[in-house]
This record gives sequence, structure tokens and C-alpha cells, in this order.
Amino acid sequence: MQEANATHAVDSTGEGPSRREFIRAAGAAGLALALPGGSLWAQGADPKNTLRIGFISPRTGPLASFGETDPHVLTLVRKALASGLSSGGRQYAVQIIDRDTQSDPSRASQLAKSLINEEKVDLMLAISTPEVVNPVSDACEAAGVPCLSSVMPWEAWYFGRGAKPGAPSPYKWSFHFSFGVGSFVRAYTAQWNLIPTNRKVGVLYPNDADGNAIRANLAPELAKAGFTIVDPGPYENGTTDYTAQIARFKAEKCEIFNTFPIPPDFATFWRQAAQQGYTKTVKIAQLAKTGLFPSTMEALGNLGFNLAGGAYWHKHFPYTSPLTGLSGVALADGYEAASGKQWTQQLGATMALLDAGFAALKTTADPKNKAGLAKTLGTLNTDTMAGKVDFTKGPVPNVAVTPIIGAQWVKAKPGAKHKLDFVITSNADDAKVPVGAKLISYS
Amino acid sequence: MNPSPLSIHRWTPLSVASVAAVVGAQLLLVAVPLVFGANVVERLTTLCIYGILALMWNSLAGYGGLISVGQQAFFGLGAYAAIRLADAGFPVYPALALGALLVAVAALPMAQAMLRLKGGEFAIGMWVVAEFVHLLVNLDPLIQGETGTSLIALNSFDAEARRSYTYWAALASMAALAWGMFFLLRGRLGTAAQAIRDNEEAAASVGVRVFAAKRTLFLLSAFGCALAGALWVATTISFQPKTYFSVQWSAYMIFMVLVGGIGTFEGPILGAVLFFAVETAFGATGVWYMIGLGATALLFAMLLPQGLWGAIEKRFGLRLLPVGYFLK
Repeated sequence: MQEANATHAVDSTGEGPSRREFIRAAGAAGLALALPGGSLWAQGADPKNTLRIGFISPRTGPLASFGETDPHVLTLVRKALASGLSSGGRQYAVQIIDRDTQSDPSRASQLAKSLINEEKVDLMLAISTPEVVNPVSDACEAAGVPCLSSVMPWEAWYFGRGAKPGAPSPYKWSFHFSFGVGSFVRAYTAQWNLIPTNRKVGVLYPNDADGNAIRANLAPELAKAGFTIVDPGPYENGTTDYTAQIARFKAEKCEIFNTFPIPPDFATFWRQAAQQGYTKTVKIAQLAKTGLFPSTMEALGNLGFNLAGGAYWHKHFPYTSPLTGLSGVALADGYEAASGKQWTQQLGATMALLDAGFAALKTTADPKNKAGLAKTLGTLNTDTMAGKVDFTKGPVPNVAVTPIIGAQWVKAKPGAKHKLDFVITSNADDAKVPVGAKLISYS
Repeated sequence: MNPSPLSIHRWTPLSVASVAAVVGAQLLLVAVPLVFGANVVERLTTLCIYGILALMWNSLAGYGGLISVGQQAFFGLGAYAAIRLADAGFPVYPALALGALLVAVAALPMAQAMLRLKGGEFAIGMWVVAEFVHLLVNLDPLIQGETGTSLIALNSFDAEARRSYTYWAALASMAALAWGMFFLLRGRLGTAAQAIRDNEEAAASVGVRVFAAKRTLFLLSAFGCALAGALWVATTISFQPKTYFSVQWSAYMIFMVLVGGIGTFEGPILGAVLFFAVETAFGATGVWYMIGLGATALLFAMLLPQGLWGAIEKRFGLRLLPVGYFLK
């Protein structure tokens, strides 16, 4: 309405818009206010026989690389569910309503509310980063709608929303499966024992929630496993000069490097480290939070080769998606064929969330009964594209822990379609995942 | 007052009728949760919060002449105070109001410093304050930096009760702040504020206590914005500092007040309704929505500086809520 109004104002240059036009615009705006109100009572054709699932992820904005592959996965799932889903002896039509948070937590919260109140979803799914998952989980908790989420450290989901260690879980409606600090400890100790180093680890952890949690929980575990941690202290996100940290790592001859930065900061740091000659010392450069997707790695040019990362999914995971029947390789190849872009680990993670969500809908006695569905989620033990998701033995209620696998970005073989290849180098957190390559020393 | 052949009026039959209508409408709004579903209640809660923000920004800029782009400092602090109090075991709904009151107390020393700045300096200074407060809140181990936390104390209420309570809290807050402002503006402060807005030096020279009047408006605005922040966290539950201390809140307030009508009592409320409608209609378009909001506010500032209500008021001589006087 406001845009129409603005055009009027431009059209009538010189005189300014007439009062009448403004009144009309105001009236139209009032109508716009009434319209969504009018649709509140509108329902799907047959609400009793339709299961409505909300799916919220970041497709645009700074977190867009997480949501980039979601449309493809949703298309596959919708196709698989075209003839509906049978649960509790009844056949239901399935409607997945997907929304983009634009990487904005307030918007995530509003979207969740509108899916709950206007679309009357039976189950909410949310994926990727605290900026999406936490507000959606909170909105579902507030409205009493079952919510399943994935892909953010479970500690930041469970404790980050105010649960206290040792106290009973304050959550009744929200459930989360993902990796946690323990997953990183297992993956890193395995990965770093693959090649001989001086076991000195230079760590660059920022002064944010992830950085401080990792500093407090991961670093001591790594020290216990026999690594010497060299920590120059927290830095602020957005720092542009890392000379002091690089000098320290050089002086201590840290052959292993580990960091949890936001992606643009890593690019800055790593270029400076190369200019100042630190990268020549590094044998293993282990990244988390950045280095998840091929697009960010390609942006680093030659400096991106042989950086090590973690994977919450890889196309060589030996699992198939119960929902679509696809293997990891089939999912990745299908995406590459459809989009022309390289596969990413998010493909399998999104599929796993949908696998788990629909497994719960299938096994619960009545998928339209929200309390019953929440109960089913709390004891869900099912196979997904990314492996087993088991809520029965979580470290805390409402949480299932999934693995992190050690991997590395290597130069693709000549003739390959893409510049980089993402290979599995260690599998300590899930022994069924096949190791595909030997870890290569960075320098 | 000097004797004059002109008589001074405040009330007109129209304003009597409209005040009665407003009171009636507010009483009707109280019954909304009993009649309508979750969606209407939650949307009206949001609208009430926008209304508070617009009123509060207008009280500063429209009446005090203080343009601030840092009111998100109070918005964020209000939410933070509510979370801190609830975490300490304080009953959660009273914590919303008490938190806002504590923020107003904290705003007192801030007022002493900030009100010495004028015009653009004050605007930017307030933004700096907001960023500074944001960083301080990030240091709290309960908040855990940008990850934030959630107001899970509300989980002890069931969904429907909490929705209604939050709505009533928002409605009561908006009504109380609006009526509070109404009576303040009808009194000595209203006269002083308008004199200051028109010319600060001249106002001081005729004996208006400029600093005290500005401080009252500043504290009122701080309290109102903090209350809006506390209510917002009660509706969204999640507290992620970046979203609460974001300058976009100031942008929203400026939009609502500029489009609705700066310096009028009715304008900001109209602006809040318009903003709410625009957000509902175009919010999904992302960046273009923000560009559209900015462009609209810009056009209004250039072509219709008194806003929609200002224009209506001028054209028809309408005064629905009598905060001023007129001569007959």
C-alpha cells in the first residue's frame, strides 16, 4: 500500500499529492490490514485429512549458503509424499509450507507465529544456526506446537535458551538433534593424530557465544588428549588486523591451527597469515563454522586447498533417506544435475530433518494430536539420511546428538567439474562412515 | 492569562465524541481474547507494541524536538531487565513493568549527559549509547554474547493464558502511556515542550525550564521503549541482543511518526497502524521492503513533512484528541 502511495507522490510532481489521494491510500492501507485478518479463518480444503508441516530456514541474507539447497530437497520430499502419508491407520494429504527467515531472528519468530496461527501447522521444522532455530523453537514452545530442529550445536540450543544444567528440561514442545562440543572433541583428536606434528595447537576463538563456549569446553578436552593449546585470547568479530595473533602462533611454532570464526574473518586472517609466513608452518588447519560449503572455500583461491573441516553430512555417508529412498550419492548427484552447482553437506542435513520429522508423524498414534506427537518426538529413534537420530539416550532431554566427521578440502582431480573436492579423512564419531582419503599436510 | 476578546477553547463536540469513542474502543479491545482466535490476539499485541514505540518516539521528537536514533537502547534494556528479573525468580508479568521502571531509573544519569547535546549530536550520541549498552549486555554470562537467551519463565503459563495476558499487558501499557502523555501534554509540560520545540533559546528566555521539561520527556520515552522491549520479549521469548539493539527499531519508529504525523497526538497511532499494514503486506519481500520503507519515509519528510495526520488536521481543522487550544 505504501509503495502505491509513494508512486502517487512521484507522479504528481510539482503540486504534491492531493489530500484525496492520501485519504484513499490510508483507506487502502486499512483494507490491507483487514485482508490478512480476513484470511485468518480460511482453512485448507479438508483440514482433518491434511497434515500441515512448517519448514523454516535461511534462504537469503548472510546465512543464505545454508538454505541454498533447501528448495531442491523440498521438491524431492514433496514428490515422495505426493500420494500422502499413512499414519495411525489413516491416509493424510501432506502440505509442507516453507518460509525464508532472511537470516533475521525477529523474522524467524514472526514466521513461526504466522505458520502456527494462520496455517495451523501440525509440526514445525527449523534448520541451521541459532538465528533460525532458537526463535522458532521458542515460538513453538509458547504456542504448544511440536517442533523439531537441527544443525546448530545442541548446547547453544538447550542451555542457550535458558535451561540450567542438572535441572529438569524446561521444554515440552521443542526437540533438537545435532552435533555438540563432544562431537568436535572426538573428531579433532582423531583427525590430529593422523599425521605427525609437534601437537601444538594455535587457536583463534572469537569473543562470541560459540567462541567462548568452545574455549571453555573444547580446549580443556584437547589438552587432556595431549595437545598444547596456544590461545592468544578472544578477538572481536570483524577484526581486520591479526598481526599479534599470527606473531604468537609463529613464535610458538603451532603446527596445528583451529578456529571458529565467522566466514569473512577467516578469509582476512588466513590471507594475513599467508603474507606473514605463518601458513608455511601449519600442517593441519582445522576450521569450524566456516569452511562448510564449497562456495566459501573457492573464494579463498589457492589458500583454500588442504584446509580441514568438519562435516555433519557427506555424500559418502552410507545411509539412505527413508522418506525418499535416495542414497547420499544419488542426492548429491541429483542436486548437481538440477542446479549445476556443487553438492553441499546441507543437502543431507535438511533431508535428515525431514526424514526424522516424517518418521515421527508416521509412528505417532494420531498425527493431529499435538501432545501425542511431542511425546513421540521425545522418544524418537529413527534412521535418517545422516544416520541414526536417537532421542532416548540424549545427554539431556529433548536432545539427540549426531556426529561430526573429519574432512578436508582438496584440489579436485584434473577434468573435474568443480575446483575443490571434499573428502572424508577420519570417522571417529561414526565408524560406519567410510574414510575416503588420507589427510594431507597443509604446507 | 490576559483578558482577551477571544475565548479559549479546548474541547469541541467532535473531540468530546472522539475521546468517548476512543475510551469505548479501548474497552472493546479488552474483550478481544474472549472473542477472537490466537492470530488476531497476537497481531493486535504486535500492533500495540508498535503503537507504544511510535508514541514514545513522537514524545521525544514531536514534542521535545529531540531526534534520537538510539531508542533501541531502551528497547533492548527493557527486554534484558525483564529476563534478568525473571531469572532471579521474580514473577514474570510484574517483571516486565518493573524492568521498564528500572531502565527509566538508569536513564536518569544518561539524560543528564545526553541532553547537553543538541540536534544531530544528540541523535548520533544516542546511537553510540545504544551500541555501548548492547556491548555491556553481551558481557553478561546469562546472555552469552550474541547467542542470547530466552524468557523461559513464561513456559509456566499455558499457551492460551499467556497469549491473553501478554495482549492485555500490551494493551494496558499502550493505553496507560497514551493517556499519561495526553494529560502531561495538556498540562504545563505540554506548553513548555512545544515552546522548546519551536525555539529552545526563546523558550528559556521566557522562563521555561528547558532542561527539566526535556528530561521528563526523555525519561518517559525511555520507560515506554523499555516497556515495549519487555513486551516484545514476552511475545517472541527469544532474546538475541543483536535483534533488540538493532537500529532498525529506530528506523521503524521514525517511519511510523513521519508518515503518521510528527508532533500530533493522533498521527503516531495512525502511523503504527499503517506500518503494521505495510509490514504484513510487504514484509516477505526482504530487502525491497526495507528500501520501500526508507523511500516512503523520505518522500514524506520531503513532500508532506507534517505527515498524514498533520495534513488531515490542517485541511479539516480536525482535533480528535484535545491536547492543544484554539481560539474562537
